[in-house]
Order: sequence, then structure tokens, then C-alpha cells
Amino acid sequence: MRNKLLVFPATAIFLLLSLEGSTFAHHGFVSWFDMSRSVTIKGTVMSYDWTNPHAYIYLDVKNEKGAVEKWSVELGALAMLARAGWRRDTLKYGDEITAIGNPAKDGKPMMHLDKIVFANGQELSSAL
Amino acid sequence: MRNRLIFSAAAVVAMLALSPAPRGQDAAHTGSVPDISGVWLVEKFEPRLFPNGGAPLQPWAEMKLKTTNPQTDDPNLACLPEGVPRFMISVPYPMEIFQGPTRVLIIHEGTSVLRQIHMGRQHSKDLDPTYAGDSVGKWEGDTLVVDTIGFNDKTWLDGGALPHTEALHVVERIRRRNHDTLVDEFTIEDPMAYTKPITAQQVYKLKPDWEIHEYVCEENNKYTYQRK
Repeated sequence: MRNKLLVFPATAIFLLLSLEGSTFAHHGFVSWFDMSRSVTIKGTVMSYDWTNPHAYIYLDVKNEKGAVEKWSVELGALAMLARAGWRRDTLKYGDEITAIGNPAKDGKPMMHLDKIVFANGQELSSAL
Repeated sequence: MRNRLIFSAAAVVAMLALSPAPRGQDAAHTGSVPDISGVWLVEKFEPRLFPNGGAPLQPWAEMKLKTTNPQTDDPNLACLPEGVPRFMISVPYPMEIFQGPTRVLIIHEGTSVLRQIHMGRQHSKDLDPTYAGDSVGKWEGDTLVVDTIGFNDKTWLDGGALPHTEALHVVERIRRRNHDTLVDEFTIEDPMAYTKPITAQQVYKLKPDWEIHEYVCEENNKYTYQRK
């Protein structure tokens, strides 16, 4: 069996395409979110879950008709977020933020976060 | 914790203390063998071995891949271990390598799994299939050669749902290309699932200021796993 190892190997090439520089995240975010699209939403923080395997920001976002949409914004794992500058008290109820990220493929109000912009214009990326 | 070994860094240090060896991130070589210890992170994260398709699958494996739904069927969705080689190839969290004369231990921050590479022994007979398999290692010059068998068939080869059987056999050649770079070259063989061996490479960068953190996947996991 060993002697066959070097015979006609199929080479897997690590192509980096759209994932390069993307958020480090655990579960199959590539399956759930459209990594080729980016959307921007502005809303009010209802809660901020500082949890593994993902942190979440829950945002109330007013759509064009004035109705409130409940958005779930998914981040990466806590340790990687902490290395990127996030903390458990980075956000609190009532904060007004802009969130930029990849929308859910199924059209639900969910996002895989790229970065947030605070009301003062300061930005914080979820990637290293 | 479902078939999973969770070890604290302190426990690993205690294990290695039983058979101490020179370790440290500051020297590329310490003692008679290279030093590969330290915290390492994949240089580029690509979950799939074959991003453009073309894996040399046996017909049944091709069918299995086609009928697998990554949104619901990834064992990792249930916080189950990635196993080898996925553990080494497509997990975007750091790992720390602890190095001793009888064992090389790898703690991965993702899913908090400990991988043991037994130095200087052969594979045990009649292995009970496991997620990480049975890894035995030896030094060939500057390269740690790791041979792993004894896998269960509950994991994927990568994040792209490539299946395998218990016949999976993985050989890794791990070496420190330079102080900041570790390279793992894989030869992945499973004649029950693939028509020929697969070779791949992963590159890791040293993170000298990082420590491995706690990661409890079950804490707030909102994903659903359908195939148990």
C-alpha cells in the first residue's frame, strides 16, 4: 500500500478565491451565506451574544417601508474575534451601528459579518 | 462530550513533563531534532481540497458527495471533531504543537481536540476506529513523518464534504520551512473511496504572541445536523 502512495497522485490545490481575507468562522458559513454578495444594514442593537461557536448581534433594522426587520448578524468564534479587537462589551443594547457583510442565501434577514461601523464612524472588522 | 478528548494546556504540559524534551519557539532547531513547537495558524483558509471539483472519487463516493447537503450534513455542525486530515487542513483556528521525545501533541483551538502523535512506536493492532485515528511519527532529517490509520468513517476529508471509509490512510510530512513557517504535505489514500491518492499541502504561520483559548462549541450552536 505504501508503494502506491506516490503513484499518480491527484493534487489538491488550495485556491484562495473569494475566501481570502474573509472572516474566520466555524460552521459552514460558505453554505449558508452568499459570499459573493455584500449588503449594508443600519440598525439598533437589541442584543449582543458573546458566545461560541459564534458571536451574534441582533439588530432592529427599518426597511424602506418603515417596518422593523429583525436581523441576526453572525460573527466568528470568540478567541478569533478577541484577536481582531472585539470584546464582550464592544456593543450594548441601543447602540446604533451599520453592519456590512454577506447575506443569507435563502433571503432571511441574516448576515455573516464583515465589519461594523459605529455611530462615530469608527470601524471594527470581524476578520484579522 | 461525545468521544472527545478535552485537555487543558496545563494537562498537556504535565503529560510532556513525564518525558521532557527541549522545546521553545525561539530556536528553529533544539537538540537533535527540529523544534516545531508553538502556536500556528493556517496561512490561507480554504475549506475544500478541490475548490473546483475533480476529486478522484469512486462511483459510490461520487454519489454520496452529490447527495450530501453541506448545510445540514456536516458533522462539524454538531460540534463533532473534524478528524484527520480535515483537522490539519481546513480549520481556521490556531493549533499549538507540544513536542516531546515520545509524543508530539497538537491542541486545536477549534473543537478543543487533542491530537497525539506517538513517536517511535508502530500502529497498535486491531485499532478501534476513532475520529483522529492512530498517529505514529518519526523524524527523517528535518521532517516529522506522521502515519495515521484507524479512522472511523464519520468525518469528511475537508470542508467540502469529501467522504472516506475506515480504510483511510494519511501520511504527513511536517517541516519548518523557516522560523515563521510550518509546512504539512499530505498524501491521502483511501482505495475504497478514491481511485488514486490525493496529495495536498497546508502552510501555517507562527503566532508567537498567541495562546490557545477556550472554545466550547456547544455553548450557543444554532446550526442543525441532520445525519447522526
